[in-house]
Formats: sequence, structure tokens, C-alpha cells
Amino acid sequence: MTVGLPHFLALSAIVFCIGVYGMLTRRNAVGVLMSIELMFNAVNITLVAFAHYITPQDVTGQVVAVFTIAVAAAEATVALAIVLLIYQHHKGIDVDNVNIMKW
Amino acid sequence: MPFDIVQFYADWQTILPECFLLVWACIVTMAAVFSRNSGEGTSTGTYAIWTLIGVLVTAVWVALTPDGTAFGGTFVFDRLAVLFKEIVLGGVLLTVISSIGPVDRMKLHRGEFFGLLLFSAVGMMLMVSATELLLLYIAIELSTVTLFVLAAYRKANRKSAEAGLKYVILGGISSAVLLYGVALLYGMTGSTELAGIRNGIGDLFMASGSFPPGLTMALLLLLAGFGFKLALAPFHMWAPDVYEGAPTPITAYLSVASKAAAVAAFLRVFFVGLESSQTLWVQAVAVLAALAMIVGNVTAIVQSNIKRMLAYSSVAQIGYILVGAVAVNTWGATSMTYYAMAYLFANMGAFICVIAFSNRMGSDEIDDYAALSRRSPTIAVFFSIFLLSLAGIPPTAGFLAKYYVFLAAINNGYLWLVIVGLLTSVIALYYYATVIRKMFFPLDQPEGGFPVSLPLTIALSISCLGVLLLGVFPGPFVDLAQAAAAMLMPGM
Amino acid sequence: MDTFSLAFFVLAFLIVASAIFVVSSKNIFHSAIFLILALSGVAGLFVMLHAYFLAAAQVLIYVGAISVLMIFAVMLTSRIADKEIRHTNEQVGIGLLISGGLLAVILYSLYNTPFTISDQPIAEGAGMTLGRLLLTKFVLPFEVVSVLLLAALIGAIIIARRDTKTGDSVPPRPIPLPKSLQQAKGESES
Repeated sequence: MTVGLPHFLALSAIVFCIGVYGMLTRRNAVGVLMSIELMFNAVNITLVAFAHYITPQDVTGQVVAVFTIAVAAAEATVALAIVLLIYQHHKGIDVDNVNIMKW
Repeated sequence: MPFDIVQFYADWQTILPECFLLVWACIVTMAAVFSRNSGEGTSTGTYAIWTLIGVLVTAVWVALTPDGTAFGGTFVFDRLAVLFKEIVLGGVLLTVISSIGPVDRMKLHRGEFFGLLLFSAVGMMLMVSATELLLLYIAIELSTVTLFVLAAYRKANRKSAEAGLKYVILGGISSAVLLYGVALLYGMTGSTELAGIRNGIGDLFMASGSFPPGLTMALLLLLAGFGFKLALAPFHMWAPDVYEGAPTPITAYLSVASKAAAVAAFLRVFFVGLESSQTLWVQAVAVLAALAMIVGNVTAIVQSNIKRMLAYSSVAQIGYILVGAVAVNTWGATSMTYYAMAYLFANMGAFICVIAFSNRMGSDEIDDYAALSRRSPTIAVFFSIFLLSLAGIPPTAGFLAKYYVFLAAINNGYLWLVIVGLLTSVIALYYYATVIRKMFFPLDQPEGGFPVSLPLTIALSISCLGVLLLGVFPGPFVDLAQAAAAMLMPGM
Repeated sequence: MDTFSLAFFVLAFLIVASAIFVVSSKNIFHSAIFLILALSGVAGLFVMLHAYFLAAAQVLIYVGAISVLMIFAVMLTSRIADKEIRHTNEQVGIGLLISGGLLAVILYSLYNTPFTISDQPIAEGAGMTLGRLLLTKFVLPFEVVSVLLLAALIGAIIIARRDTKTGDSVPPRPIPLPKSLQQAKGESES
């Protein structure tokens, strides 16, 4: 059996769905953010696999992945700053306790 | 590829307005930092005035810039872009005017508030011009990441911090979902440019005579991503909390400017890039629009907080805009564009009334609005006009806007969607009227009246003028919307 | 099985296993460690796909910066000492259902989609092409992402900075100069 594009896509889908699961079930805000990072990484696997197999002469997929990484970094920075702010207010970052307002 | 100075100049000339606004944002932010270091600091009014100057110059510049494309066609400056840029800038303008009071009550980082607002505006201006999915994605991120910060800006307030957290989490998820859709589209068509995707989808159809299921998946993921950004039901869970917790001017900005920009992006992606595969997504959009109208309007009835009520009402309003999207033609796009204009003035005006009220009373509860007409007839009258426009009562802008989107949908055979729209409009009228009735009755004499500050009066007058002009003299505005929509389908 | 396939399955196993640990570990600190492992595995996949620049960026930015940021946040916000607390909420069943369903739908739709795999050879010097693309075709996103990073930086500082009651940050305390330097200073002033 030779590994090809379908394998990479399947792996990416699995990691994406693990991220979705984590985002739905995690109580800790940092845990939720980690799940989101997993989802971004799954997308990157897809992008790079497509760039390799579909457009080998053109690296557009890789370019998109570079930007994804940069954006994820920016988002993580702001997200963690807000997590720290929440911690100052609640002395904890349990998402279920962050509920003065109803979901 | 040799360096071409003429091309280089032509490219950058097209986005000079954005560059200018960006530089202005940096100047405002720097000024804020330096003035704090030099002692007592500058007053909020000064920052606001300088920000306004920047926004006005940009708005004029946008109006004067000739149409063109740049950066290999990834950035277009056409009538659609101009119109939506002006809508975004109008939203920023009204936000800046109305945030003087709320920002003044924050002890810290008052200048940076306006700086970040401008950064976010730059993101939205790029969003409405992007014809390439990577640029679109980055522009969306620029506008939302700054909005995460602005939502959490009242740092001493727990609700504001919560709003920031919920927004950042849902924002992250939505960009991941959106990006997955982009990745799949890229895989199937080999391109991230809308033109390339359009051709690629055509080839896919030619190859097998039908669309592969992967394309459906990609479209659903894209729709979900856009659904989060637009706060469409069932992706609207974040909206009420974020709207309630964020500083009210930011709520207004979120609900108007960011949605208008997302509508423009939606038009470009779905009406241009994915137009040929419309059989796959029109049904889904119709269902989403119906859900948004039902969920938004029904949930809005039971709200006791005015900001939450307006949040749910804006979920419903986006549903009405999307009713126009079931007509994938010039009419549909025109009606959506017109609705976006009407929505700008009505929703912005409504939020400015909420700001004026809470500046004075420090409350956002609907019950506290009782007998407002005795204490501040100005706010009560303006608020009623804006609510009536949101409900779609003639002669306000909202009536014509709803009329146009419903007409577009009927012409494309979506009668059931229009019936849902009409029924939910009745529900909407009920809760808007409840607020109006509270403001004008009972007629007992309450304690003391209060005036509205000059900047807020100006902002209210601008919004009110907009609502009435769009409603009474729609001609020129419909022409503008039509010219914008024509950009999407040059062949029709 | 050739080396390529073997490498893929080893990495895939590593990534999936650590990803599962990330979302299910009882100790959030362990989650962070497993996240690093998963992200390193993804970097390995990038090497397999000839995306060397990306692999380096993945290691530098994700493994080196974002994960460390996560670990900082974990350490600053939760007392790791009270480790074994339940870190999942009551939605485990629903979560499994939704993510499992999503996975099935995605796999089904991708399996039934004919992707046109190109038979062209892989371009040499992908790193060079990437750099050229960044400064020609994608120069606008490239500039915008730098603005995005700047805005995120400003925002993060504003949000994370601890404000004092007087309304502004603590003024920097003057550091006392060493005796010898104080004397020198006094002499120069007089």
C-alpha cells in the first residue's frame, strides 16, 4: 500500500475532528485554545498535501499555510491575554464558570 | 520577473486610501502612548476629532479613487468596493462620535481605543475588495483580532472580559472552519483566486457532469465560517453575550460595519466565485436565512436587556439580508446592498440611542426606558424612528429594504421564505412596539429630564437623516446599489 | 511497505495519539506537552511533503513560540499542584457524537471526490519560489499580516497589562546607583 493524498486528507480530517471534540468538551479556556490550534494544524496538513500532490509546480498551498501559522500566532497572543484578564476577574479560567451572562 | 515601476505605482495607488488610514491609525496610537508619557494625557475629545478627520479624509479619498484592479487582480476597487467601504467608514464615523462618552469613562488607553478601531476598519476595507481567498482571510482576521481586544476593552468589567473570551474562542473556531473550506476549494480547483475557483468548478462539472461531494463539503464549511462571522443562527450563540458585554459603541460597530463587510465578502465569494455551483448552496442559504429570522425574532421577545434584544434583532436582520441571496442575480445583490445601507443607519442609530441613555442612566434594562419620552423626548423620538425602520414600517428605509429583498426572493420562486419573513416581521414589530410603548407610556411625570450631548445629537441626526432619505427618496441609492451589484455580474 | 509509508504511519500515529491526549488529558499541563508533540509530528509531515521552509516555521513558531505561550498561560492561571481535576464538562457524549458525525461526513465526501493528482515533477527550490510568491503575488496579504501582528501586539499589551488603582501603570522605580557611580555623578554635577 502506498501512502498518497487520501491518507494525508484522512489524517487531517481526523485531527480536525479531534480539535472539534476538544473545543466542545474542554472546560479550561487554555484547553479550548489548544483544541483550536489542533484544528489550524489539521488545515495546514490539508493545504500542504494539496500543494504537494495537486499543484507541485506552484506552492500556493504552502504560502497559505505560512499565513495560517502567522495568524494563529496573532490570535493565540490576544486569546491568552484575554485569558489572563479573565483569570484576574475569576481566579480561574473554567469556561463553565464564565457565565454571568447566559450562553 | 523584472521589477516594473509603473505597475508598482498603479498597484499601490489603488489601495492608497487603506494605506492612509493605516498610517493614521498608527499615528493615533503613537500619540496616545507619547501623550501618556508626557504627563496628564490628551482628552478623549481630541483623539476622537483627529480620528474623525482621518476617517473623513479616507472617505473622500475612496470616493475620488478611480476604479481598477491591483496586485495581479487579487484586489479590486470597483463600485461595490466603494459603496461598502463608505458603509464601513460611515459605521466607523458614527462609532467614533458615539464612543466619546463611554471611552471617557475608561481611565486608561483611551487613545489606543481609537487606534485599534481604525486598524479594524482597515481590515474591513480590504475585506470588501479582496478577490482572493487568502487576502480575504487575512483581512477578516485583521478586523476580528482587533475587535477581540475592543470587546474586552472595559477591563475592570467582568462582563466585558467574558465577552472578549467568548468572542476570541468563537472567532478562532470560525476562522479554522472557514480556512478548512478554503483549503478544500483550493484542493479541488487548484487556485485561491475567485476567478480561478470559478473556472475550476466549471471544469469539475464538465469532467463528471455533476458536482463532487467534496465541493458540497467545502461550501458548507465556508457557509459555516461566514455564518459565525455574520452571527447567523445556528452560529449566533456568541453574539448576544459579546454584544451585551462589549462597550456599547463596539457593539454597534460589530453589528453594523463588520457585518456589512462580511456581506460584501459573501457577495464576492458566493455570487462570483461559486456562482456556477449555486444549486449546491442556495437551498442551504435559504434555510439559514429562515432559521436566523425565526430564532432571532422569537428570542428577542423575551430579552430584558436592550443590548441583548438588539443583538437578537440583528441576528434576524442578517437573516433578512440573506433572503436576497437566494436570488443569485443582479436583483438579489442590489437588494442586499440596499438592505445593508438601510441597516447601517437604523441599527447604528438604535445603538447610539442606547449609548445616550446609558451615558446618563447607567442602565441597559428595557424596563428603565419607561416614560423616557418625558425625560428625554429627543432620544425617545429618534429611538422610535430607528426601531420602526428595523421593523420595516414605511416611510423608513427598512420598509423598502425588506420590500426589495422579498421581491428578489419571490421572483426566484422562494415564496415560502418570504412568508416566513413576513410572519417573523410581525413578531419583530411586536417587540419593537413594546419598547416604543414603554417609552411613551405611562404619562406620569418622572424625576427630571436629561439633555443629549452635542456629538450624540449630531450622530443621531445623521442616522435619522439616512433612514428617512433612504426611505423617501430611494432612487439615487437604488442606483448606487445597482451599479455596485452590476460589478458582480458584468455579463448581465 | 516503503520508507515513505512507514514514516507516514509512524507520524500519523504520533499526531493522532498526542492530539487525543491533548483533548482528554486530566492535567492541562500534560495537554500542553502533548500539543508540542503533535505539532512536532506535523512538522515531520511537512518534511515528507517537501515543505522544508514550512517545517522550519512550524517548529519555530508553533513549537517554539505558541506552545511556550500556552505553557506560560497554564502556569500563570492554574495551580498545577491541584492536578487531577476533571477537565471535561458534561458534554462528552454530545461532543463525541458531533465530532464523530463531522468526521464521517468529511471522510465520506472527500473519499467520493476525484482529486486530479498532478503528474508533474515536484518543483525544485520550493523555498525560493515561496519567497518570490510572498513578495510578488501575495505581497498584499504579506503586508496585511504584518499589520495584523502589530495590532495583535498592541491589543495584547493593553489587555494583559495590570493596571493600578490610580489609573495608570506603576511608574518605574528608580534603580539606586552604586555608591561609586553616585559619587562620580555628584562630581560631574558640581
